[in-house]
Amino acid sequence: MIRKLRTGTFHTGMLLLSLLWLGPVIWVVVMSTRTFDDIAANGLGSLPHSFTLDTYRQAWVDGGELRALINSLLVTVPSVLLSLALAAVAAFALSRYRIPGRRTILLLMLAGNLLPPQILLIPVQKFSELTGLYDTLWALITVQVGFGLGFYTFVLHGFMRDLPGEIQEAATIDGAGPGQIFTRVMLPLTRPALAALGALSFTWIFNDLLWAITVLRTDDRMPVTPALLALQGQFVSSWSVIAAGTVIAAVPTVAVFLRFQRHFIGGLAIGAVK
Amino acid sequence: MTDFDPGRRRFLGHLGLAGLGALGAGSLLSACASSASGPAKSGGSGAVTIQSNLSSPQAKTAIEKLVENFNKLGKGTASVNTIASETFRTQLPTYLTSANPPDLYTWYAGSVANDYASKGLLLDVSDVWQGLGEYPQSLKTLSTDAGGKQVFVPMTNYWWGFFYRKSNFAKWGVQEPKTWADFLAVCETLKSKGVPPIGIGLGDTPWVASAWFDYLNIRINGAPFHRELLAGKQRFDDPKVKAVLTRWREVLPYFDPKGKAYPFQEATTALLAGKTGMFLIGTFFADAAPKDALGDLDFFRFPIIDPAVPVAEEAPTDGFFASAKSANPAGTKELLKYFASVEAQEEYVKSSSGIVLPVHPKAKAADSPLVTKGKAMLESAAELTQFFNRDSSDALQPTADTALTKFMDKPDQIDAILREWQASAEKVFKG
Repeated sequence: MIRKLRTGTFHTGMLLLSLLWLGPVIWVVVMSTRTFDDIAANGLGSLPHSFTLDTYRQAWVDGGELRALINSLLVTVPSVLLSLALAAVAAFALSRYRIPGRRTILLLMLAGNLLPPQILLIPVQKFSELTGLYDTLWALITVQVGFGLGFYTFVLHGFMRDLPGEIQEAATIDGAGPGQIFTRVMLPLTRPALAALGALSFTWIFNDLLWAITVLRTDDRMPVTPALLALQGQFVSSWSVIAAGTVIAAVPTVAVFLRFQRHFIGGLAIGAVK
Repeated sequence: MTDFDPGRRRFLGHLGLAGLGALGAGSLLSACASSASGPAKSGGSGAVTIQSNLSSPQAKTAIEKLVENFNKLGKGTASVNTIASETFRTQLPTYLTSANPPDLYTWYAGSVANDYASKGLLLDVSDVWQGLGEYPQSLKTLSTDAGGKQVFVPMTNYWWGFFYRKSNFAKWGVQEPKTWADFLAVCETLKSKGVPPIGIGLGDTPWVASAWFDYLNIRINGAPFHRELLAGKQRFDDPKVKAVLTRWREVLPYFDPKGKAYPFQEATTALLAGKTGMFLIGTFFADAAPKDALGDLDFFRFPIIDPAVPVAEEAPTDGFFASAKSANPAGTKELLKYFASVEAQEEYVKSSSGIVLPVHPKAKAADSPLVTKGKAMLESAAELTQFFNRDSSDALQPTADTALTKFMDKPDQIDAILREWQASAEKVFKG
């Protein structure tokens, strides 16, 4: 009886909690189907008095979301691949070989992550101009790779460090060089961590706004986050169109997360407990 | 940590590998650099780029239409680059100081433009102004920097006023007030009918309160004092400023108590639904109104307090300035001349749905009773002011937001609030 009561309370509690989490999402989805006049007349918080899907057309066509999504993917996919590849190489070297000053290197990478990005906005902008990359997607890719590298290396280092040394010794005895050890032994073993980091970094880079508006200034080069912002007017915004745009923009990250969620939970836990 | 020692030789070999990797990355980077075309580097005759903050759909369409028309004239080519207005506001200094800046920018007239001009960032457009003889002197003064040259070309402006629904005023049996006493009477009537008389929206948009401060100040102390105050030549703890807040305090009980919680867009909704009586706001609020309510809207000017003070109105002016580093100054000026012309402004007003007035004296505004009334009000005004932030700076605006929000919460602490305001304003002016 008491146990039944307990499970009952637990389930109701969890149900309410998940509703609390889902509430804003549902609200945005409902808002995206309302007309401008409905929101203007009844306010943002009221129950819907109208239903339309035209908001999605407006966000997609008039808001230029297609172009923005393509830009986002053009930036995100290379950034994720490049930063994970570089971080994996760095983590391999730092964790498996006695490189002089490896602790310092690692701490330096971690320290870089503790810097608030805001104080680097102007240096990064000026530097991107100096290198001639300003207002190109390359600039954004470079910045994203640079800023992600430290953290990814740190996580992968922690993971690779705990892989048994005997595997590597066995591979060496079998005649494998560092390159082969890395590609044939280490990378396959690191897959869960790579998948988890891949999903995480995809979300971070895809959702980034700050760097995009720092190094870009042309509207048709903007990724999806500034493009969403551009749906806002100077004083008055069509919230239903913005909501529709947000729903569209959320699709790629949700897809990546669903695809990788198994690794995501597993990957982060591995290496946490010895 | 694995104790795996690869030996010195292998380690060196590995370093070599890493070096190769670095080289590869380096050449990749330089490849990026050389392939970076950047924004079309406009030579003497290249396209003029306009960096625009007109991101609302109608305004965006309107400016694109203008550029299309300009390109047909054969006086040069131009392209528009629309950036979210919030992004634009924060990035404008970056755009202007970058090595290869866009040529033309949408922005505000007045001291904000002068700030950039004093840093040498703006193109001298005095020769454009030589062709603008029909423009009133006030606009020319507004577009002139401290050094005496014109740096700005205005295109449109709009007005502020107390907006209300005609049907509601008729239902409540009240008339537009002309004087402060009338105004208080209207407030009293509405309150007795259970309607909060004065709507306001300060959540997220605290700057809306500055309209009250601006208007009370120009009605009580006059526009010249107001400008000097905002330029740091007068003090906020002056008894004259205290008189402004004391007057404001008289009507504080009539404000919508919910107004502090929601932004002005929702205050608009409340006004249209008859939940508030009237609303001191700029014409841009009409963009947040459903189309069927527009015909029912009317406004009256901020009531006269002291008949001896020349009547001034807030008329924020929007337009363009150009970068001093523009690669194509001749083309930029051609485009500015076009934007200043009657046909461009009439076209803009027609395409953009917002209630805006063309600044060219001969350009026809939209044909609606509301717009005609607004235009007449501005024309009859002895002086025009811009708005708090435009007459001072974006840095001073937050000090006003803090002080005025606090005042509306604790109206009995006027002296302390003004002292604090003066202190934070001094910090801004020392900059």
